[in-house]
Amino acid sequence: MADEMRKTFHKDLDEIRHDLVRMSVMATEMTTLAAEALLGGDLELCQAIIDDDDEVDVLSISIEDRCFRLLALQGPMAADLRTLAASMRVNSDLERSADLAVNIVKGARRIYGQEIPPRVRGIITMMSGEAVRMIRLAMDAYSEVNGPLGAALHDIDDRLDQLQVEFVEAMFEAHGAEALPLQPAIQLALIARYFERIGDHAVNIGERVSFMASGEQPEHPGAARLRARRGEPAAVEPAPAG
Amino acid sequence: MRSVLGWLMVLAVVAVSAVAVGVVIGATRYRRRLVAELSEVIGRRGVRVPARLHDQVQLINRLATEADERTAAARATEERLRGVLEGFPPAVLLVDPAGEVREANREGERLLSGRHGDVLVMDAVRSLLPTVGAASDPHVSGHVDLAGPPRRNLAIDIRYLADGDRLVIVEDITERRRLEEVRRDFVANISHELKTPIGAIALLAETMCDEDDPALLGRLSDRVHREALRVGSTIDDLLLLSRLESAAPSPVQQVPVSSVIGEAVDRVRTAADARGVTLRVEQADASLTVPGDRGQCVSAVCNLLDNAVKYSDGGAVVTVRAAASDGSVVIDVVDTGIGIPARDLERVFERFYRVDRARSRSTGGTGLGLAIVRHVAHNHGGTVAVSSREGEGSTFSLCLPVAGPSVSA
Repeated sequence: MADEMRKTFHKDLDEIRHDLVRMSVMATEMTTLAAEALLGGDLELCQAIIDDDDEVDVLSISIEDRCFRLLALQGPMAADLRTLAASMRVNSDLERSADLAVNIVKGARRIYGQEIPPRVRGIITMMSGEAVRMIRLAMDAYSEVNGPLGAALHDIDDRLDQLQVEFVEAMFEAHGAEALPLQPAIQLALIARYFERIGDHAVNIGERVSFMASGEQPEHPGAARLRARRGEPAAVEPAPAG
Repeated sequence: MRSVLGWLMVLAVVAVSAVAVGVVIGATRYRRRLVAELSEVIGRRGVRVPARLHDQVQLINRLATEADERTAAARATEERLRGVLEGFPPAVLLVDPAGEVREANREGERLLSGRHGDVLVMDAVRSLLPTVGAASDPHVSGHVDLAGPPRRNLAIDIRYLADGDRLVIVEDITERRRLEEVRRDFVANISHELKTPIGAIALLAETMCDEDDPALLGRLSDRVHREALRVGSTIDDLLLLSRLESAAPSPVQQVPVSSVIGEAVDRVRTAADARGVTLRVEQADASLTVPGDRGQCVSAVCNLLDNAVKYSDGGAVVTVRAAASDGSVVIDVVDTGIGIPARDLERVFERFYRVDRARSRSTGGTGLGLAIVRHVAHNHGGTVAVSSREGEGSTFSLCLPVAGPSVSA
């Protein structure tokens, strides 16, 4: 009887994991298409992406619901509990990433008809590629419960941050040369920020994966600073992995 | 005493004979049963049953050997078929009525492992599976387009098999789609490139018929002249291209790379000066040569330089570099111009392909330059490649093997 329940628990957990991978693919597809819609001025594609997000939302709600159900009915422990808790966080990170793709196309609609300077276009293409790559790496780490890869995403994110800096420079340059009016420039700056935020969500997923694998909470620089100000000793060793 | 012994002997003989008769009768019965069973075994094989036991045993021996051979042959065939299935580029899955995958080739396994975009492909397959059946539709197809990167188009084909299983084939048709697009665009583009200037000439000539203002006539005839030159150069390039395509082997000679670059640079110098673009040649080894056709090589490098100059801003530098590398001579033409969007990169070598139609009219190319470069490279057994970032410039690399075209031909 107990064994039977464990079996369904793991089957349900596998389904949740599979659905999260599915959701990540939906989010990365939306991100790539959002960059295409933005660069190609494709309003139809913009609308299609906005519609796609509804499917992501439905899936996300269903995953969250199933997570709560498992948590309440099965009372999982140790690695199972961590996986379930991490999956709930991954769920919201992916859902937010898809929302960011929607934000990108909404921005694209606002600047419809505005010619985007070539250098800015180039950086947008790279940012979108980089954001998609990061989500994929994060989900590889999640599927394989690869803690080190999850932790490495923090460093991989530097590339996307660097691109955003370059992007802002290119915008100042184009605006200075009067190739880009202020209003679309601001919209584009926001769009770059959205791509960069998708990368941040990938980093979050990576942190959840390393927690899943090791049971150690990622270090929060803010918490460390607060302790230092209060003169408290450094962080206590986290609870051993179960 | 003697008689008792005699009686005993007689009794013994009788007893032994009785036992012997019993044994013989038993053996005969056993033998008969054996023969019957063997006959039945042989009979089931559809072979004529020999009368003698010895022959029957031999026959069974032969049948067993034959069966062994057949099993081995069947195993070999199975292995061969599996090899064919594994080597088959599309993903192949055999799904039983319960929806469980029974067989999968290597590509199929990859699809099932459900990484990244494959998850959506399997979702599409699973949603199509219930629609296939003996009663409903024995053959269903669908497709999935993935934005990637890389972009992928996949065709799904599901067939209902006689034993209730379903055969799923998932094929990557990205390249096929691309080629279809190339063909469609070429037909549309060639008519556009030829009809536009001819239409303009017809209209201009018609206007000239009703005009007698010399200043206006001068302007109109000037336009007619320009448009005629435009068609002329398009037709010249088309002819050059078809000559290159027919690939009649031209006399192969050792062509000095420095003289090719020198002549190409001379040809585009006027255009470069007019735009204020500086041409820089970097060649470490002046003695480099490649076997091939000098005229073709010059026209290839010239086309690359011409593009680099056209898409650079005033004050920019276009660099042409030549160096030996791994059995080839690589000629790089590097500009810092507007660059090429990633989605257009693989298409720029197509005939008449334009990244930006609005701009191409003002730069006035025929749209065939890069197609010519690609054909020259091909005729020399080499390749041409491009790397580019929008807004930062492009690098075209023409790679010609030192061993000559015969190697790849």
